[in-house]
Amino acid sequence: MTLSFPATEAWQPLPDRDWNAAAAAHLLRRTGWTARPEDVDRAVHDGLAATLDRLFPAEASLLPKPRSVARLEEEGPKLIRAAQQMTGDDKVRAQRESQERARMAVQDLSIKWLQYAARPGQAALAKWVLFLSDVYVVSADKVKSAALIYDHFDLLARHGLGPAPVLSKAVSRSPAMVIYLDLNQNQRRAPNENFARELLELFVLGEGNYSEQDIKEAARAFTGYRAQPFQGGEFRYAPAQHDPGPKTIFGETGSFTGDDVIDLAYRQKAASTFLPHELVKFYLSDSPLPVDYLAPLGEDWRAHGYELRDLAQRFFGSRIFFAPEFRGNFIKSPVQFYLGLVQDLALDVTPLARFTLNPLRQMGQWLYYPPNVRGWVGGRNWINSATLASRRQLVESLFAPVNEDSLNADEQIELVAARTNGVTDFSVSDRLLEGFTPLDPGAAAGRLVNRFLAVPVAPAFRDSVAQFIAASDPEPTPRLRRLRRAAVTLLQSPEYQLC
Amino acid sequence: MSSNPTTPFLPTTRREFLRRSGGGLGLLAFSRFAPSFLVQSTLAATPAPEKDRSILVLVQLAGGNDGLNTLIPFEDPDYYRLRPTLGIAKDQVLRASDTLGLHPSCTAMHQLLQDGKLAIVQNVGYPNPNRSHFRSSEIWETASASDAFISTGWIGRYLDNACTGAPADSHDPVAVHITNGVPQSFVGEHEHPTFGLLPGGGNRRDNEETRQLLETMISKPAEGTENANATFLKHTLMDALVTEKKVQRVLDVYRPGAGANYPGNPFAASLRNVAALISAGLPTRVYFVSLSGFDTHTNQVRQQANLLTQLSDGLAAFQRDLEAHQLDSQVATMTFSEFGRRPSENQSQGTDHGTAAPLFVMGSRVKGGLHGTAPSLKLERNQDLTFSTDFRQVYATALDRWLDCPSQTVLGGKFEPLPIV
Repeated sequence: MTLSFPATEAWQPLPDRDWNAAAAAHLLRRTGWTARPEDVDRAVHDGLAATLDRLFPAEASLLPKPRSVARLEEEGPKLIRAAQQMTGDDKVRAQRESQERARMAVQDLSIKWLQYAARPGQAALAKWVLFLSDVYVVSADKVKSAALIYDHFDLLARHGLGPAPVLSKAVSRSPAMVIYLDLNQNQRRAPNENFARELLELFVLGEGNYSEQDIKEAARAFTGYRAQPFQGGEFRYAPAQHDPGPKTIFGETGSFTGDDVIDLAYRQKAASTFLPHELVKFYLSDSPLPVDYLAPLGEDWRAHGYELRDLAQRFFGSRIFFAPEFRGNFIKSPVQFYLGLVQDLALDVTPLARFTLNPLRQMGQWLYYPPNVRGWVGGRNWINSATLASRRQLVESLFAPVNEDSLNADEQIELVAARTNGVTDFSVSDRLLEGFTPLDPGAAAGRLVNRFLAVPVAPAFRDSVAQFIAASDPEPTPRLRRLRRAAVTLLQSPEYQLC
Repeated sequence: MSSNPTTPFLPTTRREFLRRSGGGLGLLAFSRFAPSFLVQSTLAATPAPEKDRSILVLVQLAGGNDGLNTLIPFEDPDYYRLRPTLGIAKDQVLRASDTLGLHPSCTAMHQLLQDGKLAIVQNVGYPNPNRSHFRSSEIWETASASDAFISTGWIGRYLDNACTGAPADSHDPVAVHITNGVPQSFVGEHEHPTFGLLPGGGNRRDNEETRQLLETMISKPAEGTENANATFLKHTLMDALVTEKKVQRVLDVYRPGAGANYPGNPFAASLRNVAALISAGLPTRVYFVSLSGFDTHTNQVRQQANLLTQLSDGLAAFQRDLEAHQLDSQVATMTFSEFGRRPSENQSQGTDHGTAAPLFVMGSRVKGGLHGTAPSLKLERNQDLTFSTDFRQVYATALDRWLDCPSQTVLGGKFEPLPIV
């Protein structure tokens, strides 16, 4: 790929003259889920710097702990202790029941997170946390506790815009992480290297920037970290399990603790470019930027004390981020595809797993259950014939009213409860497109295309949409129906999969 | 659909493609995005599809069908004790044996039973049953033990193991579902060409219009230089549209066989579409259709009668259709539901989530009649049935004896097949 700017200019702030509606839409789509016209207008009006301040604020608005999660957090340990007292079949049944409740609570948490992330004002932060969770990966499959998964994501949100070493230290104490990467098993006499390895390989430095000896020694420094999921799940440091002896890591020797190891890691040169590299992969492009491009960004980040907020603002405010070669060519993740649709179509997240989490799974992204410690690969890996068909079906389903007769009884109860709370817009109503009906077909096509697509399309493309809208239709409200079908088709198009 | 059906926008068969390109049109003359199967098959002479392979049709009864009122133990006083208002009277049931009979709505299935084309496997379930719709469906679809969590489905794993000899058109679907969303059963370790249709065919006109507009959009040149991901997406979508169009063509021209009277409901329409695809000789080995609404916590009598009528009449029409096309020996159809329902009825003229239930296997090569043993009803109030046949035995039978695939690799354990086929 030919880059528009040399490495020396890439990270300069975008000049004011280049800040316009197209740039604002690009920023909103990449940092959030989509670019609603009202949000674009506001961003253009406020200017880039103020918009970045708003997207990555000093004070994060956090997802409150769902009641189901809190209730299970309180009752879970009791249930498990009770199960431990039992014998035989009763014990098996009780254990299974608590496992099942944990899974249901994770499911509820997933839906609550989607509802939280769908609010346009919170989209950038939610996506940032999703990014961090794709670096500091844990899976509910192994952690098996909604409360600990919630805590882990909460921690990523609280520390996610502060200094990276502080975040890494917090993550090393995240009970979900302690369980997921076997810090629990890391004993003085039998060190477990899992966490130490991923810390260096996947969180801070990247492959090739440490030796096997560094990992062995680092694992010793992290001995004594404990979390008992079934006893409240709090992090605990067990000094008797800690190996206080001298360790040699990155050529330095001392009786290092886990926190020391993290500080040492951030002193390595590779730390300055590792996270920026991940940032490019998650937000900018399938193909990595050359190392000489990452270096200046990394050096600047390190000079700012590895502050993540500085990194985000520098990155998303840079000339290279807005370069033409990065516009409209990034494949949306399933979460972005879904939440983008919710925002574009002014919908509420349907509080039923079958209508939200199942489609996400079918499109390849099961929230809180990443495939492995590397997280989701992303890019073209999101797309194959089955996942593309699932994306198309999701669009169709959002334009059709929920068939309530086919719902199970518990789903009907959920739906009634949601409606009582004013959450009602589960499928596209005529309101969305009524404003388009007085327009002539060409203008309506132009507005739909501009509204939904991040990719510039040729006049012939727009004309084909206009012709479709103009065609006669036997329905009682022909124009409205043609507009609806044109919208469905645009949302299923290859172009809408891109941002 | 193109206004003139003899000149479709894209060739839908390889022969059509070759005919056109032989007439002087280059590969890219009709589209900038030649579907990959066309490109591939011009490079390699792939073998003709085997059209006589056995086919499995799965029918999901979503919501948890009440087994006790499907196969009724009309001589058992315990049944009437547990079902004081919902119990179906002895003189109403359609006799399957001296002690058991089908729900009165199942007249067509009762005829199939008498013709020896319907097997009823009694009391199917699994140890440590789970009563959540979500989880129990997952257990059935992934064929896992109730305390194991498996991310792939049993059909997906079958495809992982069975599809080494690729069909002629590498793009033809190896499994087809007529459901909203891909069934978990289909998820494999590897990607397989599967295909989904909306139940009842979805809205025909909507689908046609959308496909046509998508084709038109894809064929338009990009504005400026197109990025590689856009090209990749267009290519993938065009492949899918070609399959979709091929399928639609098949459904459009299909005429059900003599005597196959499909009732006018979406479930029957789904079965009709399955028959159409089978008779078109697609190399598809597994079809998946779904009938939902079995979660009868309240007013069960009317709701279950209505659903079982749809099931029974739909299945019978489907079987008749296959027979008329002489395809019946190739096809076995099997029902499943995430759980049966509680033997004791509840206070709202309904039943709550339960455990084991009978399932049906239909086909001309099926050994008809009752299989397995009936559940004991010596139960306290709100106690559940104890299964006697593990659902994975049914799967093992389908894999080993029908699809010719070693069941142990797919199921991760040995399950005794049943003498159903």
